[in-house]
Amino acid sequence: MNNTLLALTISLLFGMGTFLILRRDIMKVIIGFGIVSHAVNLYIVASGVFSEGKVPILEHGEHVNQGLVYNDNLANLAAGIVGPTTTAPYTEFVDPLVQALVLTAIVIGLATTAFILTLAYRIYEEYGTTDVQELRRLWG
Amino acid sequence: MDPSNAIVIAVFLPFIVTWTLPLLYKVFKQRIGWIAAAIAFTCFALVAQVVPYTMAGTPIKDSWLWLPSAGLSFDIYGDGMAVLLALIVTGVGVIIMSYSTGYMSTKEDLPRYYQWLLLFMGAMLGVAFTDNTIQMFVFWELTSITSFMLIGYWRERPESIYGATKALLVTAGGGLFMFAGFLLLRIASGTYGISEVAGSSELLANVHDSELYVATLILIFIGAASKSAQGPFYIWLPNAMEAPTPVSAFLHSATMVKAGVYLVARMHPILSGTPEWLILVSGTGMFTMVMAGFLAFRQTDIKAILAYSTISQLAYLMTMYGYSTAEHPGLGFAAATFHLLNHSTFKATLFLVAGIVAHEAATRDIRKLGGLRKEMPKTFIVAVIAAASMAGVPPLNGFLSKEMFYETSLEIGHLVGGPWALIFPVVAVMGGVFTLMYSIKLIDGIFLGERTHDHDVPHHVHDAPLVMLAPAVFLVGLIIFFGLYPKFPIETLIQPAYSGLVPGAEHLHIKLWHGITTPFLMTVATFATGIILYRFYNGIAAWQNSFSARFPWISVNYYYDWTVNNARDVTHKISAVFQPGPIGPYIKASLLFMFFLAMVPLFYFHIPAGSILPAGMNFNAQPYEIVLYALMLVSALGAMIIPRYLPAVISLSALGFLVSLLYMYLKAPDLAMTQVCVETLSTIVFILVIMKMPQKFKEPMPMGKVMVNLLISGAVGFAVFAIMVNANVGMLGSFESFSQYFIEKSMAMTGGLNVVNVIVVDFRGYDTIGEISVLSLAALGVYNLILSRAGGAEGGEDE
Repeated sequence: MNNTLLALTISLLFGMGTFLILRRDIMKVIIGFGIVSHAVNLYIVASGVFSEGKVPILEHGEHVNQGLVYNDNLANLAAGIVGPTTTAPYTEFVDPLVQALVLTAIVIGLATTAFILTLAYRIYEEYGTTDVQELRRLWG
Repeated sequence: MDPSNAIVIAVFLPFIVTWTLPLLYKVFKQRIGWIAAAIAFTCFALVAQVVPYTMAGTPIKDSWLWLPSAGLSFDIYGDGMAVLLALIVTGVGVIIMSYSTGYMSTKEDLPRYYQWLLLFMGAMLGVAFTDNTIQMFVFWELTSITSFMLIGYWRERPESIYGATKALLVTAGGGLFMFAGFLLLRIASGTYGISEVAGSSELLANVHDSELYVATLILIFIGAASKSAQGPFYIWLPNAMEAPTPVSAFLHSATMVKAGVYLVARMHPILSGTPEWLILVSGTGMFTMVMAGFLAFRQTDIKAILAYSTISQLAYLMTMYGYSTAEHPGLGFAAATFHLLNHSTFKATLFLVAGIVAHEAATRDIRKLGGLRKEMPKTFIVAVIAAASMAGVPPLNGFLSKEMFYETSLEIGHLVGGPWALIFPVVAVMGGVFTLMYSIKLIDGIFLGERTHDHDVPHHVHDAPLVMLAPAVFLVGLIIFFGLYPKFPIETLIQPAYSGLVPGAEHLHIKLWHGITTPFLMTVATFATGIILYRFYNGIAAWQNSFSARFPWISVNYYYDWTVNNARDVTHKISAVFQPGPIGPYIKASLLFMFFLAMVPLFYFHIPAGSILPAGMNFNAQPYEIVLYALMLVSALGAMIIPRYLPAVISLSALGFLVSLLYMYLKAPDLAMTQVCVETLSTIVFILVIMKMPQKFKEPMPMGKVMVNLLISGAVGFAVFAIMVNANVGMLGSFESFSQYFIEKSMAMTGGLNVVNVIVVDFRGYDTIGEISVLSLAALGVYNLILSRAGGAEGGEDE
């Protein structure tokens, strides 16, 4: 991925989210959390995008089997490369694995957001405040 | 039964039964002590089966695979010494557990008490029968832990906590030194086995010639000394007296403290026979013997006197095991082993007496007691016999082993020669004199003299109930029996232990009367000196008190307390800095740490390029892209700066939908769809929650704080940017990702066209199961949080 403007956008999102996380208001912290997770997800997905790559959905009847994948070669260890290698860069499709990872992350993000929101709500109910420092003072 | 099976069952039976005690308690209630005693008796019977084998000189040796990958097996070795210790442990165990049924109040937490006692017994049997050093270490530390639990049995008393902590720190800490010593021994000998080294002259030579010999000896001896309260490590034993008295009798006089001595005996064939051994083991022993005997004078608590007496008596054992020269490696071995047995009998009896007195007279303070002989005649007789045995009065067993002690002291003095020919016997007699004096004091203080009329002591003190007296009477029977007929214990227990560990051991002949010899004259001298000096007993005690008040820093306890208290204070200070409490500093620290974690390597890799940002950055973008980015930034900014919750949440939600648009552009249609669904849901949850909250929280935002926060978040954003633009420059050698495998195999292996879906549900299905579990856990968490509302009147929201 060689797109400086996208990188700039993502990092600005990251910075804004961080700023919110540093706030004392617990709701703002949760919103900041949401922004940071967006930034992280985008970051990971963007890292798997090659300029000519296609969407990782195969055509019907298309068998991708070029036989160049997975020649595990112990000689590569000497070169400091740990992992499967191919002889040629393979950029027909964008990377599907990062997308699968982020898919999981988005769903888990929903779960955690729902949980911490409920937690914040219960904290407000019990202590009558959403101020993190105030809570700390109340707990002693 | 096969003897090796008998040993293994004896070791593990207590461990197994201990888990069932809480259940058995439901049935048997306070009679559960008899169950524990029955278990101890079973173990005793099992171990006793091994005696014929050890008497015949054929130790039991067996081995099971334990951790073959680490070269470890579970090895048992049942020789005379192991059987002797095991019989003491189980025999005293039976006595103590029966006695406890009378001693422990039925209101106490009895299952816990007997559970730890049984666990301790199992651990001690493990120590006795182990044949490799790693296994020894495991059981060894287990005895320390069970001792910790039993000393701290009365959890609410600060003295118990102090005593338990001290015992654990000293004995378990010493165990670590021992472990280091075992590792050195492994390096020197090449094996973890104990009998293997002892039985091979080649390995023995390796150990003795190794430059690690002295270090090994010192480290292992630190372990033994800390367990047996020798030298400066004595400090834990007096405080361990906070335990219930039966525990003190069992662990802290008869058995656990013997583990250190046992280790010395076990290591005797491997490490003894050198001047270093003599100096270290006997030297520590002689010093401790005299000091502890002397320090016993100022104690006023019966159990404290007994504790110092135990330290001093254990020092006898150390001293005798230390008597070793190259020609006569096992000079004091037989005497020490016999005294080990005898000490268990008379000291356990005295502790039982202390328990009876405390139980009936409601105090253990020797200043408040006195004149109880008329009210407690049976206890009085028992106590007199046990104290006499400790003092070495004929014809009791203590007399025999003390004579042997004097005899071997003379011999070692003769062998070393020079002034030592005098020093060894004189120090031995000094130890004997002190022992005699505090033995007299015990009887004098509790039973003789006039009855004091202290308000703590009841008017009418009853004699002991049968259940508490009978165990003590049984032990006294042994004291007399071993004294009058020493042939029996010598032949069944002492000779096998001696012959098993000392090569070329001669046949032991012990007679009650063997004419007027030098040792006998030493005994006479001991009695004469002791009785004369006893007149000054209280004066010496008073002098000790004033001395310790004047020089508080001449005391090991002073340094122990100093170290422990300082450790606590310093830890408190450090954690006050690193764990201040509010969450803000933690987040800032983590963020800054990650910032440097990312930036330092970047700078490092880019020194040749001279710039943190790579050359040739691509600023080309389609107009619609730029619009999308701008919209995202605007909505994020809205979420960031709008103080009211509702508009902020709407901004966040707008950002989420824009992100799904961006996923489309990034060629991730699945993500775009998921993001739309998830964003919708989470917006609903957000709105449900903020509906119930105040719409705005007035957080004071001083300029300085805003600037600091902006600086931190700016740094974080910059770090992300720097990483991203550098990521495709290739700081590391490039290699193909795993993803190609999925693309290639997707159609062939699963028939799926959408590779992302195939990965999620097929190739990486386990990840998805994990994801589903997270979702269900979060749902459960939300549900329970709602339920946990105190009062719970309001209707919950659903999610």
